Amino acid sequence: MTGKHLAKILALAIAGLTLSVAAMAEESKTEKQQMFLDGARLWPVYCSQCHNARPGSEFSPAQWDIIMMHMRTQSNMPAKDARAIKEYLKGGR
Amino acid sequence: MASRKSGARILAIVALTAVVLVMAIMTAAPRALADDAEVQAKALKQVERELRQLRADRARDRKLIEKLEEKLDQVQSQDSQIRTTNQQLQTSTKQLQNSNQQLQTKTDEQLKQIQAEVAEGPSERQFAKAIGGYMGTHQFTLTGAAAGDFVYDRQNGQNTFALTFEPLMLYRPKDWLLFEGEFEAAFDPGSGASFDAPVATAQIFLNDYMEIVLGIFDQPFGDWFEDQGPLWVNRFITAPLPFGTAALVPPSDIGMQLRGGYQWGQLGQDADYTAWVANGPSYDSSLPQPTIGQELNGVNNITTNTNGKAYGARLRFYPFPLDSKLGRLELGASTYNGKWQNGLWLNAWDVDFAYRRGNLQTRGEYMEAYRQMPAGSGPDNRQGWYFQAGYFLTGLRLPFLSRDLNSYLSRLEPLVRYSGVNQRAVVAEEISTTPGLGFNGSPSIFAPHAREVALGLDYWIAPSIVWQTEVDFELPRAGGTLYSFNGESTPSASSVGATPNDRAILTQFAVGF
Repeated sequence: MTGKHLAKILALAIAGLTLSVAAMAEESKTEKQQMFLDGARLWPVYCSQCHNARPGSEFSPAQWDIIMMHMRTQSNMPAKDARAIKEYLKGGR
Repeated sequence: MASRKSGARILAIVALTAVVLVMAIMTAAPRALADDAEVQAKALKQVERELRQLRADRARDRKLIEKLEEKLDQVQSQDSQIRTTNQQLQTSTKQLQNSNQQLQTKTDEQLKQIQAEVAEGPSERQFAKAIGGYMGTHQFTLTGAAAGDFVYDRQNGQNTFALTFEPLMLYRPKDWLLFEGEFEAAFDPGSGASFDAPVATAQIFLNDYMEIVLGIFDQPFGDWFEDQGPLWVNRFITAPLPFGTAALVPPSDIGMQLRGGYQWGQLGQDADYTAWVANGPSYDSSLPQPTIGQELNGVNNITTNTNGKAYGARLRFYPFPLDSKLGRLELGASTYNGKWQNGLWLNAWDVDFAYRRGNLQTRGEYMEAYRQMPAGSGPDNRQGWYFQAGYFLTGLRLPFLSRDLNSYLSRLEPLVRYSGVNQRAVVAEEISTTPGLGFNGSPSIFAPHAREVALGLDYWIAPSIVWQTEVDFELPRAGGTLYSFNGESTPSASSVGATPNDRAILTQFAVGF
């Protein structure tokens, strides 16, 4: 294999990696948006099952991180739903 | 004649001259010829030398010319390179100028943006990030609740104010580990305050579906102890009878839980489980001997009395998808089996439901407990239940009321609850009718067949700030036995018979923080 071929392959690999990283970042952003939307739907329903749903503005994002751990235990809600509600509470402040 | 003579003389002269000349030439010629050849040879040599010189000069000149041509080529090449470099430099300069201009524009924009942001101040997110970065990953949060009550019971004629403060401390050293501690300061009858720690746990999140809880925890039996206990969460001021003073299982336990939840269908269709092992139940040790109807202790700190453990399990199921618009329905079942003395078990089971749709919320439970008694005594069996419903008046607008009054009206939540307990007997020494926070003090509650209808009206100032008012109608049924020790080691039994009804009113201001 000549040096030129190697350089081409390397360039293609770098381009592919860059594209995949960009795609992952985009996917992550999309996932977060989806989580936020799911959280917005789940928040009034899941929380109100036991108590009035409290708005995101009542606690700081750091506090929500902790409180949602407590609430996940308390309610046994699925972890992904807890993450979605947390995303909504933190983002919707 | 003279002319002839002069002519002849001239001819003679000429002839003489010619002779002389010939003779001179004849004599001088060989020498002259020799001289000429020598000169010519010299000249020839000179010419040859000059020719050689010329050739050498020519060769040198040619070499010089070649060198000069080479140098000229080099100079031309260098000139070409310099021209190319110069062109490149010009292009680069142009590009740099463009970049510089773009950078300048961008910098100006960013500067303007930063100036605007500085003028506005940091956003909450930026501030939180900065604070988070400063505070570190170990995080601490204080939540909890506080409440003040006024309680009046008609039958015992007592009324009192009561106060409770229940801070809940949460500490998260890692994103998979949470410590939780609830401390309760209650102002009991008399002076001073009593302190308790009903919850102190470490919660270890193993994965998305599994979690371990270690410590002292609210009993996960049924739904009430764990989910409805906080002052601002309970829609009523008092607990339903099976979870109040005559609880069928211990309200708290020390041990270990394994719990988790998962989505089995569409969004909202979940199931969850809790399984635990704990110290188990213990009963009021101030009585001389185990007695039917004896009260359970709140928690069993050390299991020396049992040498055994309690085992519990709870499953809950949520059948409706979120998008079905059918509301949120929870169906649950629990068991609790624990040794309260060597070889003697308390076995209990419970089924529960909770349903929320729009402004309507309902929940209810039914449970039974079977306590094995020492030989010579009958079983200590109990049943308990409650059903409650509430409806938020949010959105209600009465045309004949002003806007302000309608806004007050929309914050109201009327409630109703029916609860009851059946047990074979009660112990006279355990009856305490002193009212307190969350307890109306009615003697009728201590009837073996207690029944209660509670009407409530909650005024929600904020999602976790509520002013609650509750009217309790105690409607005990006849029957059952009253055991009384009266200082003896063996109780005396008397039939309870009909017990008078009672009424109580409670009002409470509760804040969840």
